[in-house]
Amino acid sequence: MYKTDVRGKLIDGEKSLSQISQEILAPIDAQTPKWWYIAMGVSLVMFAWGAHSIYITLTQGVGSWGVNNTVGWGWAIINFVWWIGIGHAGTAFSIFLLILRQKWRTAINRAAEAMTVVAVFCAALFPLMHMGRPWLFFFVFPYPNTRGPLWVNFNSPLFWDFVAISAYLLISASFWYFGMVPDFATIRDTTKSKIKKAVYGFFAFGWTGSSKEWLRYEGLAFVLGGIAAVLVVSVHSIVSTDFAVSVEPGWHTTLFPPYFVVGAIFSGFAMVLTLVTLMKKLYNMGDFITENHVDAVCRVLVFISLIMGTAYITEIFIAWYSGSEYEMFTFFKNRITGEYAIQFWGMFIFNAILPQLFWSRKIRRNLWVVFIISLLINLGMWFERFNIVVTSLSKNYLPANWADYSPTLVEIGFFVGTIGMFSAGVLLFFRYIPQIAISEVKMISKYNTQQTDHLKPGHHHDYE
Amino acid sequence: MITNKKYLVGVFNDEHTLIDAFEKALQKGVVIEEVYTPYPIHEILHGMKNKTNITTAAFFYGLFAVVMLIGGMYYAAVIDWPLLFGGKPFNTFPSFIVVTIVATILTITILTLFTFSARAKIFPGKNAVIIDVRATDDKFIILLDQEKMGVGKPEITRLFEANGASEIYEK
Repeated sequence: MYKTDVRGKLIDGEKSLSQISQEILAPIDAQTPKWWYIAMGVSLVMFAWGAHSIYITLTQGVGSWGVNNTVGWGWAIINFVWWIGIGHAGTAFSIFLLILRQKWRTAINRAAEAMTVVAVFCAALFPLMHMGRPWLFFFVFPYPNTRGPLWVNFNSPLFWDFVAISAYLLISASFWYFGMVPDFATIRDTTKSKIKKAVYGFFAFGWTGSSKEWLRYEGLAFVLGGIAAVLVVSVHSIVSTDFAVSVEPGWHTTLFPPYFVVGAIFSGFAMVLTLVTLMKKLYNMGDFITENHVDAVCRVLVFISLIMGTAYITEIFIAWYSGSEYEMFTFFKNRITGEYAIQFWGMFIFNAILPQLFWSRKIRRNLWVVFIISLLINLGMWFERFNIVVTSLSKNYLPANWADYSPTLVEIGFFVGTIGMFSAGVLLFFRYIPQIAISEVKMISKYNTQQTDHLKPGHHHDYE
Repeated sequence: MITNKKYLVGVFNDEHTLIDAFEKALQKGVVIEEVYTPYPIHEILHGMKNKTNITTAAFFYGLFAVVMLIGGMYYAAVIDWPLLFGGKPFNTFPSFIVVTIVATILTITILTLFTFSARAKIFPGKNAVIIDVRATDDKFIILLDQEKMGVGKPEITRLFEANGASEIYEK
């Protein structure tokens, strides 16, 4: 049972069910605001730069990037891991909080899932282009081919990663979509526009809200939720094995899977915080995403930030404790000090120290500060990936192999392009899709009035 | 009263009156054709006595996927084209587990979605058969088939009204 008196209201204001539909659907019915076009324009310009960079990569090859024999993984892999991390929020929000019976998730899970789908899509582009000849990407599939048949190496983390990412993309997209079906039906049944009725009606798949549909829908949500919970942990664990099963100093550690999973959820939650702040401010969703919701996400971030700090310190401690001079060198000469010290300390301060400000209730309730910290956390998480990828590779066992790495404009453009793609995707989501799961918010709306009257004795049930 | 309309529709404004009316109607032996609600209500799903085996189906999809995946990888890596990776055995079973888990989850998801689509009859391009458009917004609808509702119409009308129905009409 959700304790309103302890945790605060889930929805501000006494809203009837039809008010809930109307207010959540308002951005879809309203005229597109001017800022939306401007933001979309900027995103598309960024995206165009990215497309141009991809074009150069396709025609000239990976040689147009700053990577070299020593630092073979540059921005591409950094950005891949960064986006995948951000893409962990959807499942973390929908599934973990569902399992933990956290009712406040209902206002946020739709946005988190939408973001996940776009972020994973952005992420998938990087390894694809890093292949060098992406038109042969289907070689990754284990299919009976004319090259032997030469099968893929089932022991390779790169193959695991391919399976994990494609599964994650498909599963989070379908989870997101089926969550929207009842809401599309609501749009179909409430809109006055004939075009919208037809379009959303098509996407509603003939949903009517009958008990037979809801029964199976709940069954489906149960199955998908149950099995996708494994994905939250497995996908980023697998990404971490890309590093951890190698013999590079700084990578070869058993800490990596949990460290990556927690980091992923950390950056995902931070990005969700960025998005909900925008939804509150730009779309007046403040009644559904209340201060208590933001507060709850901030509390989760404090907790995860402590784990991050512990992981960073554990890595450093083990480097010393193991007695391996290579590990010592990587951590003490090439991370904490040395030419990449800025990235290390950026990571440490933004991820482990700055979020500690959320211990203060005043800061958790100051939307501007929350917004800025959420952005800085994602910057910190980017530094973390830079730190892992570049510092370990640039100075490995053989000093003769040492090399520096700096990205070229093509790599920067590619990254900026994915940011443009992400923001364009999010803007489309804001404009055309109910930003909050309407049917789920209606389901929890009764917890608001529970103290006053409505529930009669004998009907005191906790719906899950 | 003779009527040529097939259905009797009771409209309720909130979950609690709906559950009250629903449970009392069931006690009286009323046969309820269908209930339409804006969100799932467990008393209704339970009371309608429909069952879903989607979870059982999902389990068997998972079993099928595990067998196919491990079998497939064994075939590829051991039987069809064994490759030496630094003297490791051909059958590197524990490392097959990673792909097995993730691809099993993917298989379960896809097959369960299709099962859901087929059984709940929710698919692209379907024309919704809408009894009352407000059921996806803010009304809770009980639908009765006039020919087989078990109890007389006046009695049902009285029962619905006494339990807070905001509207009762024929359709």
